[in-house]
Amino acid sequence: MSHSVVSARSRCLDWAFAIAGGGAAVGTLGTLAWIIWDLIRLGISGITWNFLTGEVESAGRGGGIGPVVVSTLLILGCCLVVAVPAGMGCAVWLSEYVQRGSRLSRAISGGVDLLASVPSIVFGLFGMTFFSQVLGLGFSILSGGLTLACMILPILVRTTLSALGNLPSDLRSGAAALGLSRITALQKVLLPAAMPGVLVGIALGVGRALSETAALVFTSGYSTRWPASLGESGRSLSVHIYDLAMNIPNGSSNASATALVLLILIFVINLTATGVADLWMRRLSATE
Amino acid sequence: MSRSSTDRFFGLILGGVAIFSGGLVLLIVGFLILGSFPILESGRLANLFTDETWRPGSDRDPQFGILPMLVASFLVTLLAIGIAAPLGVASSVFHHFYLSEQLRRWNRRMLELLAGVPSVVFGFWGLTVIVPAVNRIEPPGQSLLAAALVLGLMIVPTVALTSQAALGAIPNYQLLAAAGLGLGRGQTILNIALPASRNGIMGGILLAIARAVGETMAVVMVCGNIPEMPSSLFDPVRPVTATIALEMGYASSTHQALLFAAGLLLVLATGAIVGWLPFRRNENESAVG
Amino acid sequence: MMSDYLPPSFESARSSKITVSDLSVSYGNFVALRDLNLEIPHGQITALVGPSGCGKSTFLHSLNRLTDLIAGCRVRGRIRLDDNLEITDSATDVLALRRHIGMVFQKPNPFPQSIRRNFEIPLREHGALKSEIPEIIECCLKDVGLWDEVSDRLDRSAANLSGGQQQRLCIARALALNPKVILFDEPCSALDPLASAVVEDYIAELRGRITVVIVTHNLAQARRIADRLAVFWVREGAGTVVETGVASEIFKNQTDPDAKRYLSGERG
Repeated sequence: MSHSVVSARSRCLDWAFAIAGGGAAVGTLGTLAWIIWDLIRLGISGITWNFLTGEVESAGRGGGIGPVVVSTLLILGCCLVVAVPAGMGCAVWLSEYVQRGSRLSRAISGGVDLLASVPSIVFGLFGMTFFSQVLGLGFSILSGGLTLACMILPILVRTTLSALGNLPSDLRSGAAALGLSRITALQKVLLPAAMPGVLVGIALGVGRALSETAALVFTSGYSTRWPASLGESGRSLSVHIYDLAMNIPNGSSNASATALVLLILIFVINLTATGVADLWMRRLSATE
Repeated sequence: MSRSSTDRFFGLILGGVAIFSGGLVLLIVGFLILGSFPILESGRLANLFTDETWRPGSDRDPQFGILPMLVASFLVTLLAIGIAAPLGVASSVFHHFYLSEQLRRWNRRMLELLAGVPSVVFGFWGLTVIVPAVNRIEPPGQSLLAAALVLGLMIVPTVALTSQAALGAIPNYQLLAAAGLGLGRGQTILNIALPASRNGIMGGILLAIARAVGETMAVVMVCGNIPEMPSSLFDPVRPVTATIALEMGYASSTHQALLFAAGLLLVLATGAIVGWLPFRRNENESAVG
Repeated sequence: MMSDYLPPSFESARSSKITVSDLSVSYGNFVALRDLNLEIPHGQITALVGPSGCGKSTFLHSLNRLTDLIAGCRVRGRIRLDDNLEITDSATDVLALRRHIGMVFQKPNPFPQSIRRNFEIPLREHGALKSEIPEIIECCLKDVGLWDEVSDRLDRSAANLSGGQQQRLCIARALALNPKVILFDEPCSALDPLASAVVEDYIAELRGRITVVIVTHNLAQARRIADRLAVFWVREGAGTVVETGVASEIFKNQTDPDAKRYLSGERG
């Protein structure tokens, strides 16, 4: 075994990894670019002010997506109003109130993990029977929002929990040594310090909620009217895309435009949240 | 003293919220069981697997053959992970060992964006791009292959991001030791890095599988939705999730119960996959020390 | 209210004494301290020395009931503040207690917020008026020699301060609550030598105004600032005090053989 043979073989392996890996990475990101490019190509001309604010006409083929945007925001609002306090509350309790590793805390975090694994279509089934039928909310924005709240709850619990867990523990003993009550310590010291992580979690949850279709079809329904209350049915952007693409002949140009709107919305939220969190982190740990 | 009692009161509220959050999954499973009770009761559970066709709404001769859909779910998932796992792992190796810090940040951010693309958008794109392409090879285009391609692409970020994290978590001393022994980069990846991060990478693949099994929207738009046993990659299929999505709107009585049973099956499958994860992790940790 | 929050430099002899009798602390099956008795006189600096793992920190944490935060920690025995407040009594308002017995930790732990907020959060919690807070901040920062360094950037993050400045900020923050006792848990060990000397000087300046209990591994430091000394040692598997008294005398003359070897720098 001479020197050069070994190194030649080693170099080959190195190249093999570089080519396969580089190909995979470029391929993956290339497809992302392809998807975005297609949506822009097909959808950009459709996005006008009138499209964004106008009525839905002829089942979506014509007109705009005004009511759909409003319904989407209302569904999202309902979802967050419930999910954010519940998710943060659960995480705070698991992190600060109950003994870590105790049977109760393990059971609860196991339950939350399992909840995260539940497929969205099953949330749709559950929402339809529980919120729409048992609680009598019918096909409504409220019912859809609550269903989504159940769905994104694990994301919020997990991110808040890890944000609190990543705080240095001397912050807690420091607060306790100053005689701060648990609530004050949480409200004034721990949660503000954990806020970047919590924000990222909320952004992830918002992204997931905006993306969701399957859980909404049977809960918030298909209506394209301007929603007058939370008790009315209203379709989200994602449901609108689905309906236009699958059920409406010649709906695909408006579907592209709607998809582009949704994608931009999600990307902007995503990037803003990570940007804000980065900035916050940098400001807090400017020198260490 | 009053401060302590507000503390306690607040703790009780938070505890209630936490117990509700942890118990929610039980509520969901409970509803599924309750909803699928008629079919469990009817004694025709075996028909799910013995009936040849799926005609659950028919009054005269209802047929409950769910097997073609289970097979469709299985095949779509298998093909999708067959696409996503190599792509994701290879790209994460490239990410970790060949890219500069700056490019890595970009790559990660792009993958996160890809992970955030809604499944309905993937489905729509598949419908307008992949399906016509498959159709050119062999009609109708809406097929097992199209579903696998779209779904595979969709779960690549899950595999890639978790693999990146796993490779990043390898203790530096192991890589230093490899360098100290004169191992080249390729050897280090093959003999040190991949074995050391095997568990993390497997975890990511399992997560991706769970996601693929449960995915509805991207699949329902490109799979053709015909509940028959596929005989080739180009045949239209209908996975379990698509069945629920398509029929839930009008199903009643036994038919509805069947859909609930299908939902229950999905939860059990994904729950088993995800529930297995921490168990694996604990096992490994105790093995190490 | 107002007078209650006058910073300690304006008031004399607010300091207190602490009496510890038969204190035992255990974590689960592990006994950290057993049958410990100690008098901590008011207004003096008492240094706790001894090798690692003999319960000095545990002892310090039991003085302001930070032991409550540790799951499975059990405290038996009696600790009294000024003969009238039972520290170990579970009915004692622990939040008010910690106001009177402040603590400074090994690693500086300012809240990752502005310097001003670091004072406002605890002061508001304990009922100080908004109007008196600026004056308290100024006084306490002057007490630790930080006022001139930070007076123009009170609204900037405390995380931007150097380690020594952060530690002095933590001392000032503890002082702001006008405590009777301050506990220091190796306050200089995470600092570089220069910053360490500065912090040590300000601790020494608290003599007479506030009772100081300080855990230190630095015998030279104990020799420089301590009025009294308590040597901790592990006896029969649990930590306890083996030697206590006036610091200068103990450094000269020890009765306990372990303490003798430890203080003379011999290796155990």
